[in-house]
Amino acid sequence: MSDTHEIRISTLEKSTSCSDDQPVLESFLREGIWLPHSCTQGTCGTCKMKVLEGEIDHRDSSEYTLTPEERDAGIALGCQATPRSSLVLEPVEQLDPDDGVVRHPLKDVTGTVVTLDDIARDIRRLVVELDEPMNFNAGQYAEIKVPGTDVTRQYSMANPPSQTDRLEFHIKRTPGGIATDGWMFREMQRGDRVELKGPLGDFGMNTPQEEPAILIAGGTGLAPLKSIVQHALADELAPQLYLYQGGRTRQDLYDTEFFHRLEQQHEQFTYRPCLSEQEWDGATGMVTDAVLEDFTSCKGLSAYLCGPPPMVEAGVKALKRRRMAPRKIFREEFLDASHTAAAVS
Amino acid sequence: MTTTSPDWIADITMEELEQNPYPFYERLRTEAPLAYVPALGCHVASTKEMCKRIAGADDGDFEGVITPAGRRTFGDPAVLDANGEQHDELRAMVDPGLQPSQVDRYVDGLARPIARRYLEQFENDGHADLVAQFCEPVSVRSLGDLMGLQSVSSDKLREWFRKLNVSFTNAGVDADGNFANPDGFIPGDEAKAEIREILDPLLDKWTVEPDDSALSHWLHDGMPEGQVRDRETIYPNVFVYLLGAMQEPGHAMASTIAGLLTRPDQLERVIDDPSLIRRAITEAVRWTSPIWSATARRSTKDLTIDGVELPAGSVVMMSYGSANHDENDYDGPSRYDLDRTPIPNLAFGAGKHACAGTYFATEVVRIGLEELFEAIPNLESNTDSETDYWGWGFRSPLEVPVTWEV
Repeated sequence: MSDTHEIRISTLEKSTSCSDDQPVLESFLREGIWLPHSCTQGTCGTCKMKVLEGEIDHRDSSEYTLTPEERDAGIALGCQATPRSSLVLEPVEQLDPDDGVVRHPLKDVTGTVVTLDDIARDIRRLVVELDEPMNFNAGQYAEIKVPGTDVTRQYSMANPPSQTDRLEFHIKRTPGGIATDGWMFREMQRGDRVELKGPLGDFGMNTPQEEPAILIAGGTGLAPLKSIVQHALADELAPQLYLYQGGRTRQDLYDTEFFHRLEQQHEQFTYRPCLSEQEWDGATGMVTDAVLEDFTSCKGLSAYLCGPPPMVEAGVKALKRRRMAPRKIFREEFLDASHTAAAVS
Repeated sequence: MTTTSPDWIADITMEELEQNPYPFYERLRTEAPLAYVPALGCHVASTKEMCKRIAGADDGDFEGVITPAGRRTFGDPAVLDANGEQHDELRAMVDPGLQPSQVDRYVDGLARPIARRYLEQFENDGHADLVAQFCEPVSVRSLGDLMGLQSVSSDKLREWFRKLNVSFTNAGVDADGNFANPDGFIPGDEAKAEIREILDPLLDKWTVEPDDSALSHWLHDGMPEGQVRDRETIYPNVFVYLLGAMQEPGHAMASTIAGLLTRPDQLERVIDDPSLIRRAITEAVRWTSPIWSATARRSTKDLTIDGVELPAGSVVMMSYGSANHDENDYDGPSRYDLDRTPIPNLAFGAGKHACAGTYFATEVVRIGLEELFEAIPNLESNTDSETDYWGWGFRSPLEVPVTWEV
């Protein structure tokens, strides 16, 4: 039986009770108290908090993300640290209560697999019909639990947030991976039950913006951008959207018909698939080079990137080269299981 | 006392110190943390501990004083040179508008449009010297407007601090203790005459029509009804501002950019995450302290410190630029490193005479750099050769040439 402790943010009146085996961030998010966070794996450091009163256990916080000096200064990782007593905390990244974004509490949900299709090389589309709806913002992700284990994996919702009872995920196979090779690409079938929790993450386009947006996807990094594009077009969040989708060959691309159709329906949407290792009638080369080719200046524009870290890094470099302001560049990097393990070990 | 100096101390010259003071001070820190330096005609404290110990004894064993060259430049009573009640009164004149809560009220609206305005003049050129085109103009314009000097051009303000700097750091003395280079004060004297000529009518106006400018406050705040503060009290402190406060935020900004350019990976991180800018500034003013060796203390009685005899009235230069390279606190101190453990440094001094404008200066630099990195996120160094730094009293890169794709 675990103990619970009352924890609160110094500037907020509302508190929550957190058990001594629960990360404090999760406890706040479940209570609907939104705090800055991104990966929830202890690698990005977005959720750093200062412990003003009380004692915490850093648990698996890595010395890479949370240095000994930071620990000495009373800083903790909200997604890792658990309470040993009642706590008063203060997020290191400033809270902006008036940013106009509606946040949804974190919760556990269950559902049934209704679609499981191969859509590209080593990529499956998984659609889960939920037993009860889950609200989220376009760009956020959920953690899916691998049955019979404590293992969870993070996947971004690809459906628009208006659709709260059927969640679409794009699953990339990891050779030897417990969740993919061991389950989703082997035993999983339609009708299976799935446990997940969400929403998590701070990636996305949540408020109307005056500037056009460039969206760059690598592999299944398309998922959150697909959600963002649909949401932004429906709610007219940006004057113009340019979606770039990168793959090595034609076999890596998916949902191309969907986006071509969307392009025909919406003048303000442009779709540019790009192949790096195959000649075809579309753009070729690295997806970030295609952006450089199309835009002589990115000043005054914003960008949303999701994909493998090298692609995201190259994309950010390319956009800055075209003088996009860094605070207008939003990114979500894949952190696969091996990366996470390396970072926390 | 001068005869007891070892040769390596006795032989050091002003020119050598101005070119590169670090090797000499590194040896001082190891062998003589408190030493008499004949070329300067005074003692110097070179380690962090010695600087803290002496500056921390303000209004006790020591008091604030400026060097003879400093007094010759500013005149009396300059806040750096005042003590006890007089110092309290002068700080009561300059401090209110510089309190963080006050600065927060106005600094964004003051400095951000200025930074944007200067950026617009060159952001599409693809190259610039950031010292002359950005850091110095933003620094002088921000403080100039705060003081009420909107009618004085940025170039004129920069000319004034340069001339006052030459005069203030003209510290060399001959064997008799007289100024070795009396002509070195001419530029400062010219600047002061011009400043009075331009400011007198403004002070006349603020006397009858007070406004929210800093100098109008200096005239009126804390004075009995119907009276204004004496100009002979105001001018020495105007000169202190026009030199130190005009020049140094620009130097701090230039050193931050120059430091980051030595670590392109760290520059990239700061550009990507503007919340790191404050930390980048803190490391820069440790690495190349703008006020390197420009403030001093005087012993109020006969003292012996670590075996060094200091008769009453001995002047000790606070070499904060050296203290901030103290190997006891900083590994590889000559390397700029954003990730260095942020051990507090002495860039803004210590004791009762610690800088009144610490917060204002840092905020102006932060805002300037935020705007610079936002407008030109693809900034790169424009030269493979090393950046030239100059100065012993005040120290900074002479130029920061950069290039970017437009």
